[in-house]
Amino acid sequence: MNETLFVQLLDLACGGLLLTAVLVLWRRELVVIIHVFAVQGAALAALVGVLAVHEDSIELGAVAAGVLVLRAGVLPYLLRRALASAGEARRETRPLVNVAASLLTAAVLTLLAYAVSRPLVELAPSGLMSPATQAIPIGLTVVLIGFFVLVTRRRALSQLVGFLLMDNGITAVGFLTTSGVGLIVELGVSLDVLLAVLVLQILTARMRETFGDTDLDELRELRD
Amino acid sequence: MSLVAVGLGGALAAGVLTALAAVVVPRRVRSAVAGTGTVVTGGAGVMAGVGAMTGSSLSVALPGLLPLSGVSLTLDALGGLFVAVTGGVAVAAGVYGISYTRSHGLDARGVQVVFPLFVVAMLLVPAAASVGTFLVCWELMALFSLLLVVAEHRHRPEVAQAGRWYAVMTHLGFVAVLIGLLVFVAHAADDSFPALREAGRHLSPGAAGLVFVVTLAGFASKAGILPLHAWLPRAHPEAPSHVSALMSAAMVNPGVYGLVRVGFDLLGGGTLWWWLLVLALGAVSAVYGILQAAMSTDLKRLLGQSTTENMGLVLVGVGAAGVFATSGNRVLAGVALAAALLHVINHAAFKTLLFLAAGSVLHGTGARDLDALGGLRAGMPQTTAAFGLGALAASALPPGTAFVSEWLLLQALIHGLPAPGATGGTAAAIAMPLAVAAVALTAGLAVATFVKAFGVGFLAKPRSAAAGNAHESPPAMLVGMGLAGVACVVLALLPTLVLPAVGTVSGVALGVGDPAVSGAVTVRLAGVAGALSPLMLTLALLAAVVLVVGAVRVVAARRARRAARLWDCGGGPMSARMEYTATSFAEPLQRVFDDVVRPEQDVDVTHHEESRYLVQAVEYRRKVPDRVERRLYEPVLAAVAAWGRAGRRLATGSVHRYLGYGFYTLCAVLILVAVTR
Amino acid sequence: MSALGIVGGVVQPVLIVAGSPLLVGVMRQVRARLEGRAGPGVGQPWRDLRKLFGKERISPRGTSEVFRVAPLVLVATTLVVAVVTPFVTTDSAVDPVADLFAVVALLALGAVTLALAGLDTGTAFGGMGSSREMTILALVEPTLLVSIFALSVRVGSTNLGAIVSATLHDPVRVISPVSLLAAVALIIVIVAETGRLPVDNPSTHLELTMVHEAMVLEYAGPDLALVELASAMRMSVFLGLLANLFLPWGIASTATPIALLVGVLALIIKVGLLGVLLAAGEVFLAKLRLFRVPELLAGSFLLSLLAVAASFFLA
Repeated sequence: MNETLFVQLLDLACGGLLLTAVLVLWRRELVVIIHVFAVQGAALAALVGVLAVHEDSIELGAVAAGVLVLRAGVLPYLLRRALASAGEARRETRPLVNVAASLLTAAVLTLLAYAVSRPLVELAPSGLMSPATQAIPIGLTVVLIGFFVLVTRRRALSQLVGFLLMDNGITAVGFLTTSGVGLIVELGVSLDVLLAVLVLQILTARMRETFGDTDLDELRELRD
Repeated sequence: MSLVAVGLGGALAAGVLTALAAVVVPRRVRSAVAGTGTVVTGGAGVMAGVGAMTGSSLSVALPGLLPLSGVSLTLDALGGLFVAVTGGVAVAAGVYGISYTRSHGLDARGVQVVFPLFVVAMLLVPAAASVGTFLVCWELMALFSLLLVVAEHRHRPEVAQAGRWYAVMTHLGFVAVLIGLLVFVAHAADDSFPALREAGRHLSPGAAGLVFVVTLAGFASKAGILPLHAWLPRAHPEAPSHVSALMSAAMVNPGVYGLVRVGFDLLGGGTLWWWLLVLALGAVSAVYGILQAAMSTDLKRLLGQSTTENMGLVLVGVGAAGVFATSGNRVLAGVALAAALLHVINHAAFKTLLFLAAGSVLHGTGARDLDALGGLRAGMPQTTAAFGLGALAASALPPGTAFVSEWLLLQALIHGLPAPGATGGTAAAIAMPLAVAAVALTAGLAVATFVKAFGVGFLAKPRSAAAGNAHESPPAMLVGMGLAGVACVVLALLPTLVLPAVGTVSGVALGVGDPAVSGAVTVRLAGVAGALSPLMLTLALLAAVVLVVGAVRVVAARRARRAARLWDCGGGPMSARMEYTATSFAEPLQRVFDDVVRPEQDVDVTHHEESRYLVQAVEYRRKVPDRVERRLYEPVLAAVAAWGRAGRRLATGSVHRYLGYGFYTLCAVLILVAVTR
Repeated sequence: MSALGIVGGVVQPVLIVAGSPLLVGVMRQVRARLEGRAGPGVGQPWRDLRKLFGKERISPRGTSEVFRVAPLVLVATTLVVAVVTPFVTTDSAVDPVADLFAVVALLALGAVTLALAGLDTGTAFGGMGSSREMTILALVEPTLLVSIFALSVRVGSTNLGAIVSATLHDPVRVISPVSLLAAVALIIVIVAETGRLPVDNPSTHLELTMVHEAMVLEYAGPDLALVELASAMRMSVFLGLLANLFLPWGIASTATPIALLVGVLALIIKVGLLGVLLAAGEVFLAKLRLFRVPELLAGSFLLSLLAVAASFFLA
């Protein structure tokens, strides 16, 4: 693969990652959010795939396939199933910060991510500013947006998506900095995430059975 | 004798003589004498300023005039620009004032004597060449303007309140400038500007930063920059209209002058964070100012708030210039500073025009509230044309005046992104897009604001009897507006008449040899591939209008124009109460920016006695308070009041106690002196 | 002023004036077919214009010159943009005006005169329309200028000819994230500025939802014809700008007849295709509440800011 095409494809994959993160913030329908999340999984897999082809690494290729299956297939499937059993609450009705303001916050978060990751990018040996390290800020932005979603959303399911968004971002940063963290580590992390989702899914199901809703603000009442 | 010497000397002499003449001449001719004298003063000021901008300079030292420090004046190119702007505004305001003061009962001695002196003090501020002279002129300017602001305090109680706000804020600003400059002088040989310039090179970064921040606070308060803007939308509208014009168009400029003089010239440029601070203050002021103006329904208050906006834009330019200069890109810094200075000139032109037109509305209708105006185009066509021109100039649309300077500013900002991957440019890379967004939002809101002011105030049907009986102003007022209008048109179509000189001034201020901007018809920028020809744009637009008119003549049916009823849904003629008012016009924007402006609304529904389902009356009140004022000033004022109450315990009314305080203090000081020796 | 520029300055306005009602016709026809209606045919907007130009002029009582001049200024601003922007030829007839900021500001000037005309009538509808139009205009401005920023960074100029030529010579740029993000942001902005779904519904006359139609409610006869023509022209001009900023291929860079013919055909195809896509997209959309529009615009602003960030940090 020649260098310019590699750069273009890598940038495109990163752009997809970022765009989907923004869309998660933007949309209210939980179904759409899950779709977008699946697309982000695919973009992440594409990112890893491009790196794999560029470095001729079969191991990375296998990781890319694994990422695709897990993040664009299994996790969205689990989320959708959780949503299907949720009944009526299909919209993120009242986020704590309104949508326009949270989009503007995302803009600030992006610039923040760029500012703080400058030293990291410049750490790369001079002259060898690889396009992969250049894209680190995007991964970091996705992490921050994910965290923001986690903080400001009321529905348990959209919080879960926020958590997964953070994880996607962390994975992306991992691959971009080291060009692969190793098959075993990636497998371990993926299993962790899967487990976390399963646990949270069971938790939401139990919550709904007990309280009839998954609005997390109502959990506060447990304290009293 | 050089042009500058004649001009400055003439301005001084004319101003003082006018003040003296205003004391002695009878009331009948007093307005005319004072107005004419002010015009001469302003004209001489323009001459001095233009002379200084075109190369000659003047230095005068009068050591005996003031005790201790003496007076020393130097008019260089940078000062010349501000002197010329002030002079120009004074000419228009002077002519206007001849009729305005007579018809508003302002031809008593007080106002007529102080007005020319105020102009002289403003002309001298940029010419001061030592800290002592500068501070004296600054304080005189503040005092004279304060006297003019409270001129109408007998007629309206709000004036007195505005005067109190202004007095306190302007003196706090003065104290800040005083402290900053005194700290600076402590490091220098004496208090002259050349000595400070020499000292500025060896100042430690900490001391320089302290001087800059403290003086910035003072200068920002004069320019109406957030968060020290609270006095501006109070004082500017409450002053008589020609004074409002002079304050809003000319008296805010010394703030910018001081910032450029101290920051670039005396302190030699400083470090990045100074200018990022200036940029941020400017951007926030611009957006907040215009947002307040968009919500405002008082015509003159709206204009005052728009001054905060425009000074914010100027500060964005100055801050960007500083950011570029400290990162080594001096050519682009020249462009940014030229944009800021051009905007100072443009703002002076259109704000004079707008305030004079608003004064004319006040004269013709007695109303300032947009919700009570409307339909003025029939009664006062010239004023309507003048305000329309000013509104076009202020809303940064072509072929308006502010369009050229905002275009320059945007060009400087967009080319300010450092080369991709360059190290250390992160701050600029983050600041520039945000600055562009702030300028763009400001421009968009300014368009909405001035469409509201012009469309609701002057078009449509009259919303009150006063607006319906509006009558045109006397000739002198129209001439004053006309002069400002001509300045607006010339600056809009041929900015190249002043731009090369402004480019040279900004180059000199930053220590770059080449002018930043050049061109005869087309504006061309140094180091940036950008060109714009406002004249050609206007000609193209006119040609297109002519073409369309011709085409319509050919294509459309040749039938006479017929007047018809408005579409009233068959319900009979619509009354003026059904019109959109300024409040309703701004309602969508107010909703969008709900979180920022936090309007206070109140709906009272009175039910019928017999049944809760019948409504007798609905009363709706809305107020958009200044949120910064709420959150920042009120706690401070409350704290001061609390201290005052606490301090009251010290003052019981016993004379012996008061004398005792003095005695104990004296003894304490003496003991302190004895111990520390 | 080159020969190419002069040819462009003559061909482009003729093409835009003649073609824009057809573009509107095509879009309406596409919508009608997708909704299962027969549709009035592509030429209907032109027939409407002919009918309106044949009627007598009517001014409502109590309106002033502003009301009568506004349609003329609206058409004139769009015409100037059609002359100076590189639609068919890379050179501009009046190069010092072919600046992205100037073009955007000219289009805004047209909207402002119409808003003033709406206020001038003194009716509730006119005021409502102008108030809403100005609100949207104010919120669109940041996105628009920041997208311009993103596009001009890599070229180092806001001159339209320079941007188009640079993209023409370096086609790989088109699929860069900068371009894609800026393109999406600009599409949203154009939808808002031309008053299409989901921001405004051009075919509604329901009081509470109107924006553009409310402002022009009092116009009739030739004046209405000018307003309709101008809004069709604005639509084509915006789509043409979008097409040539991101996909400038086919534009004539020499003054030969073949090149010019290719340029004209390329513009027609590109703008037509964009129009069809827009119309097809509208079938699936409902109008947003007015107070949800800021969300949409905040999103597009975020995208344009990301485009600028990407142009600095990814390059």
